[in-house]
Amino acid sequence: MEKQGLGTQDININFFKPVGEFMTKDVAMTKIILAVWFVAVYGFLFLLVMVADPNDTVQVTLSTGEVVTQVTGKSFLTEMRFLGFPFHYFYMAEFCIALFIAQCWWYCKFSDDLEAKHGKTEKKPGQPK
Amino acid sequence: MKRMVQWGLSLFFVLMASNVFAAVEDLNPEGKFKVIPGLLMISLLILFVLVGVFAKAKNTEDYWAAGRGIGQMGGGAAIASNWMSAASYLGMAGLIYLKGFFAISYVLGWTGGYVLLLVLMAGPVRRYGKYTAPDFVGDRYYSQGARLLSALIVILISFVYSVGQYKGIGMMFNWIFGINYQTSVVVGTLVVLAYVLISGMLGATKNMQVQYVVIVITFFLPLFFIANKLGYFSAVPQIGYGAALYDIGHGGNGLSAELAEPSFYLPFIQNTAYHWFALCITLMLGTAGLPHVIGRFYVVPKVSDARWQVVWGLFFIALVYWSAPCYAAFAKFSNLMGTTGVAIAPDAIVVNAAELAGLPEWFAGFLAAGAVSAAFSTVGGLLMAGASAFAHDIYFRVLRPNATEETKMKIARIGTVALGLSIIVVALNPPALIAQIVAVAFALGANTFFPLFLLGIWWSRTTKEAAIAGMIVGLVVTFGSMLIPKTSVLAYYVPFTSSAILGVPLVLLVMIVVSFMTPEPAREIKELLYRVHNDE
Repeated sequence: MEKQGLGTQDININFFKPVGEFMTKDVAMTKIILAVWFVAVYGFLFLLVMVADPNDTVQVTLSTGEVVTQVTGKSFLTEMRFLGFPFHYFYMAEFCIALFIAQCWWYCKFSDDLEAKHGKTEKKPGQPK
Repeated sequence: MKRMVQWGLSLFFVLMASNVFAAVEDLNPEGKFKVIPGLLMISLLILFVLVGVFAKAKNTEDYWAAGRGIGQMGGGAAIASNWMSAASYLGMAGLIYLKGFFAISYVLGWTGGYVLLLVLMAGPVRRYGKYTAPDFVGDRYYSQGARLLSALIVILISFVYSVGQYKGIGMMFNWIFGINYQTSVVVGTLVVLAYVLISGMLGATKNMQVQYVVIVITFFLPLFFIANKLGYFSAVPQIGYGAALYDIGHGGNGLSAELAEPSFYLPFIQNTAYHWFALCITLMLGTAGLPHVIGRFYVVPKVSDARWQVVWGLFFIALVYWSAPCYAAFAKFSNLMGTTGVAIAPDAIVVNAAELAGLPEWFAGFLAAGAVSAAFSTVGGLLMAGASAFAHDIYFRVLRPNATEETKMKIARIGTVALGLSIIVVALNPPALIAQIVAVAFALGANTFFPLFLLGIWWSRTTKEAAIAGMIVGLVVTFGSMLIPKTSVLAYYVPFTSSAILGVPLVLLVMIVVSFMTPEPAREIKELLYRVHNDE
C-alpha cells in the first residue's frame, strides 16, 4: 500500500466528518442503511406501544416486587392476520430478518460498485500485512 | 499426589450423588439409554472428524481460489455453523416457549447485529489487516496493556459463551444416555475436548460447511412432520406456524377458547417494551462486538469476499432463525392441548416438541444429535479462540516474544484443556437458561469490543488510555449487572442479559472524555485509518 495524496496536513478520521471521496460516499450509504435498520425494528416497536388499545390492560409484577398495570399491546396490528400470523409477529419474526438480508445485499452491491469506480480493488488475492 | 486424586474422585462422586445441583430438570427420569439417538449422535461426530481429514488437502488459498461464488457461499456457511450454537438450536425456542413475543427480541438481536457488523466493521477491519481482535486492539491503541486486557476479555467471553453450550450438551447427553445432568456435563466435556484436540491435530477444521448442512437438515426435517401431525400447513412450516400462534391466543384447531393463552403472542404481557428494546439492542451490539465473529473477516483474501460472505452467512442463519419460533409455538400448542407423559424443560423444548407431537423417538433423536453438533462446532471455535488469545496474544506477544512455533502450539493445547475443564465448574450448576447465559457473553462483547472497534475505526482521536478505561468500565457494568440484587430498581432497568443498554453509552462517553484528556495518537495511526477508509 503506497501513500497517495495525503500531503503534510493533519488528517482526522471521524464518522461525522468523513475525509476522502471514498469514505464520504461510504459513510453516506452507511447512514441510510442504519437509519432504515433502526426505524424498521424499533420504530415498529414504538408503533406497537402507540396504537395499543388503552382499555386492554394486564397486571404485571416487576422484579422489584412492585405490581403495575400496563397495556397488553393488543391493537389492529396484533389482531390483523397475515398468512395466518398475527401481523406484528409476522413482521418481526419473518419480515425483519428478510429485510436485514436485503440490506446487507444492498450494501455489498454498493461497496463493490464504489470500489470499481475508484479503480482500487486489490490486484491479486493474498494475505494482507 | 495419589491421595489428592483419590480425594478428588471421592469428592466428585459425592457431589454427583448429592442434590447440591438440582437446578436442571431431568429429561430422562427412567434413565433409559436411547439407542437410535445415541448412534445418530456418535456417527455424526465421527463424520465431522473424517470429513475434516479428507478435506485437509485444501488450504485456505486454494479454497478461495477455487471459485469466488462457491468461496463466498462456503464462507457464509462457515460463519453460520460457527455462529449457531446450543443457544440458537435449543435456547431460543426455549425462551420463546416461556416468554412468547418478548423472546422474539433474541431472534432479531442475533440477526440484526449482522447489518451493524457489515456496514461498520467488516470492510475497514479487513483492510486494517490484523489477525486477531487483541492484535487489532494492541496495534490501533499502540499499547501492550490494552492488548493484554483485551486478550483476557476474549478468554472471558469464550468462557461465558461456553457455559451455555455445556448446559445444552449436558441436557442432550442426559436425554440420550439416561445418565444424570452433572455426569453428562463431565462426560460431554471430555468428548468435546477429545473432539477438539483430535480435529485440531488432524487439521480437521474445514468441516464447517458439513456441520452447517447437518444442523439445517436436523432442524428442518422434524418440523414438517410436527406441523403435519398437528394439522398445520406443513409444506412450509415456517409459515404454517402462524396459524398455530393465532390458535394459541384465541383457541381453534381443537383448542377451546378458555384454554387459550393470549400472553403468548401479545407483545407486552410478560414484559415491557423497554425490556424488549434493551435486550434486542444488547444482542445486536454484541453481535458486532464478538471477537471470534469479527475474526472471520481476517482470513478472507479479498475485501469484497469478506463482505459477501456476511450476506450468505446471514441467509444461512436466517433459515434456522425462521424455524426456531415454530418449535416454540408447536410445543406450546401441544402443551395446551394437554399432551402428557413427556419430561419438559424449556431448554429442551425443541426435542420436546417432537415428543409432544407424538412422533417416533428417532425424530427427537435427530434433533438431539443436531443440537449436540451445533454446540460442538461452537465450543470448538470458542475454545480455540480462547486458547489462541492466551498462546498468541498473551504468551507470545507479551510474555515470551521469542517463543518458537512449537512452544506456542503446546501452550495453545494446554490452554484449550485448561479452559475446557474450568468451564465445568460453572456449567454443573448453570445460573440461567442457555439463551440467557449466552446473552451475557453478548453483553460483554457489546460493552467492551464494540466501542473499542467502533471508535478505533471511526474516530482517530481515540487514545490508548481511553481504550483501557473503556474496557474496565465495560467489565464493571457487565459483571455489576449480574451481582446487584435482583429486586433492586437498578436490576429492573439494567437486566444482566441486557446490560449494554447502560454499558455501551457509558463506555462510549468515558472513552470520548478520556481521549480528550490525553495526548492524541501518532500521525501514523491517522494515516493508516485514512487508507483503511479510502480503500488504498
